[in-house]
Amino acid sequence: MARRPGSAHRHQKPSFVILRTIFTYLILCVGVCIAIFPFFWMISTSLMSLGEAQGTRMIPSEIHLENYVDAWNEADFSVYMWNSTRITLLTLAGELTFSILAAYAFARIKFPGRDLIFTILLSTMMIPAMVTIIPNFLTVTWLGRIGPIGWINNWPALTIPFMGSVFSIFLLRQFFAQIPDELYDAVQMDGGGHLRFLWSIVLPLSKAPLMVIIVLSFIGTWNALAWPMLVTNSPAWRPIAVGLYSFIGEAGQRTNLMMAGAFIAVIPILVLYFFTQRQFTESIARSGLKG
Amino acid sequence: MKAHEPQRPGLGGIRSRLISHWLHTWREYLTGYLMIAPSVLLIFVFGIFPVGFALFVSVHRWRLRRGDIIGLDNYTSIIGNLAYLLVFALAVGALVWAFFQFRRIYRSLADTPVWFWLLNIPGALLAAASLGFVRWTVVLLPNILDIANKIPGAERTRELFMQLLGEAFRVPEVVQARSVMFWLIGASLVAFSVGLYLWRTPVNLQSQGWLATAWAGVGIGGVLLKYVYAEMMTDFNEAVQAGVDPGIFPQLISISTGVILLFIGWKIWQRAKDQPTTFLFFLRLFGAMVFIVGGWIMVGELPVIVAAGDPDLWVGLRATLFYSLGTIPFQLSISLFLAILLFQNLRGSQFFRMIFFLPYVTPTVASAAIFRQLFSNRQQAPINAGLKILGLEHLQWLWEPKGVFQLMAGSLGVEAWPSWANGPSLALVVIMIYSIWVFVGYDTIIYLAGLGNIPREMSEAAEVDGASRMQVFRFITFPMLSPTTYFLTIISVIGTFKAFNHIWVMRLEAALGTADTISVVIFTEFFEKLRYGYASAMAFVLFAIILFLTFLNSKIQGSKVFYG
Repeated sequence: MARRPGSAHRHQKPSFVILRTIFTYLILCVGVCIAIFPFFWMISTSLMSLGEAQGTRMIPSEIHLENYVDAWNEADFSVYMWNSTRITLLTLAGELTFSILAAYAFARIKFPGRDLIFTILLSTMMIPAMVTIIPNFLTVTWLGRIGPIGWINNWPALTIPFMGSVFSIFLLRQFFAQIPDELYDAVQMDGGGHLRFLWSIVLPLSKAPLMVIIVLSFIGTWNALAWPMLVTNSPAWRPIAVGLYSFIGEAGQRTNLMMAGAFIAVIPILVLYFFTQRQFTESIARSGLKG
Repeated sequence: MKAHEPQRPGLGGIRSRLISHWLHTWREYLTGYLMIAPSVLLIFVFGIFPVGFALFVSVHRWRLRRGDIIGLDNYTSIIGNLAYLLVFALAVGALVWAFFQFRRIYRSLADTPVWFWLLNIPGALLAAASLGFVRWTVVLLPNILDIANKIPGAERTRELFMQLLGEAFRVPEVVQARSVMFWLIGASLVAFSVGLYLWRTPVNLQSQGWLATAWAGVGIGGVLLKYVYAEMMTDFNEAVQAGVDPGIFPQLISISTGVILLFIGWKIWQRAKDQPTTFLFFLRLFGAMVFIVGGWIMVGELPVIVAAGDPDLWVGLRATLFYSLGTIPFQLSISLFLAILLFQNLRGSQFFRMIFFLPYVTPTVASAAIFRQLFSNRQQAPINAGLKILGLEHLQWLWEPKGVFQLMAGSLGVEAWPSWANGPSLALVVIMIYSIWVFVGYDTIIYLAGLGNIPREMSEAAEVDGASRMQVFRFITFPMLSPTTYFLTIISVIGTFKAFNHIWVMRLEAALGTADTISVVIFTEFFEKLRYGYASAMAFVLFAIILFLTFLNSKIQGSKVFYG
């Protein structure tokens, strides 16, 4: 079974190899059980009656699908879901546009002060979020009071602060800098400038890092709790994480409803994960490959 | 600045450049600036400016609304007199740094015709101009902030805003600060140009820039020193009048001496191995030990000072420390083990990878809610039911503020358990288990990528030479993976300081705040108690700790990590 080329040299007894393989699978299966058990329990509890959910049963005696209907009606999950989608899309649109432009300029255009500005931007990654969250809340409130559109309880507070991302710029810059100069010279021969080169050559070559940014930013917006909790106080723009958090409080002892709500919140991201699973894991692995 | 300079006709003697080329260069610069503009603007407004703003907030009494300026009082309530000590050290540090800058520039100019002493005039003026700018913004900021309160919701018009904005800029103090700034900027520009005209060399330009930063260091150090001295004297006099022992100065002297002694001891220790004879070597070591022990005793005053601060901060920091010690080693070793198992290209390893990664992609609030139910204190909750099957007592889990070691000792019948050995509360342990459950998948993926980067030939060669599986791991795989391990450790340490969402969902009143790590402590101060100034000061203390750890890390890095 073990197809490692190295093991051919070792003249081990076949029974030993089989034993080891079985042992490996055993450990992996234990791991799978631990990883899966909370999900299994969530789904199974969400289908129980209230009495059963309070007890020690693992499998529901009869399926109570109405829990989902109740949870869905009690907390505006449809609104929250739509809000999270809107927030993710808006943030991504801004983040990608601005980061691509900035990363291109940092990687391929020479201008005075370029490296200094880039170093300053990089050094901001060290600042803990708790330092900036309070002044940012004050800034956003101020902007909402004086400006033409409100920021609190509205899309600007939830999206605009996240459109400038040092991490995305850094990641893309690394990639853009590797593209050979000859390609740019060719575009210039044809009378094209930076923007044309960026659009027709650089971007089609950079699908991998763009995917990393999309995946990470998607997970980030879907998980964000502290900031949305601060800047939303009505369901109008409240994202799913905050919605689910307040639903957990409201559901109280009704474990079955709570788990139904949790499952509703998990479904979209799980579906997406199962379909783009390979890109997901590869993106994460690539984001960590700096060392 | 350097890249830009040769383009200037007349400066580097390059007069023969064509106008078209010149235009092309400037257009290139402009494109660059325009392309970075949106990102830089956003990162400045929401990433850099907030640091200054947070500092501004942290010296105020600011509970929902801005109150009076109270100086370092927020900091002294958090970390006691250590606040004075740190600001004092910062001031001295700025001055020392400036001194070394001056010395370096002076030496570098020794062989050039440039006059060091004359160059200091534009340098000092430039530094004064930038400090004048800072002063102007600090004076202006409250006036700008107040505009929002002056605009009633209904009459929000552009004209009203512009009018109020104009008024904010015309407040007498602002105008005064602004004219000082303008004079300084004008004077520094004149001095700068004169300096450049006298000696047209790139060295000149660079030295002027460095001198400006050095003078800024002098300015900041001086202002801080004056300020911290005034604050300390006020505190001292108040204590004397109240008839309490102030104890500030003895503490200051004792700790500063302690730090200096430790530094000397460390230097001696470092040079010990250069000694020619064993006797001298041991003599050196002995000397170093004396210094270090002496310094340590002096620094021993620190816990006394710190005890006067806010216990919430220390509880939060201790929880953070427990959290990182209780998660990172386990998480990394489990994931390394899994990664090595999966790397054998077993049938179905893709499936295992997918499942192990599932917890990481699941939205945090949802998975934390599941764990909150699994580790509930109800007797019928899954984990407690499992304990019952094993014949064990049910536990309070997330509801339990008592430390795990304390609980273990209690169940073994030990009565007198010292309180310092209580360990993390059981509630925090559940949060650690959750954290390991989530991040093992992520770490495994990164480790697998790291394993893929190790050249196959190395382990194959070793196997041909008769190395056992264990030896290959010990001497090849593990050292080759050290950059990955290092990266994951750093990411995880940063993660423990940032940890918020899952703790926020799983923290319960019953656990009495024992599960709150530092970020959660700061956020409750801000969000629930509405103490903006105090929370900002706490966040700055956290920032200082992170900076210190980064510094330590940069010292350690080079020596221990093997970059193949």
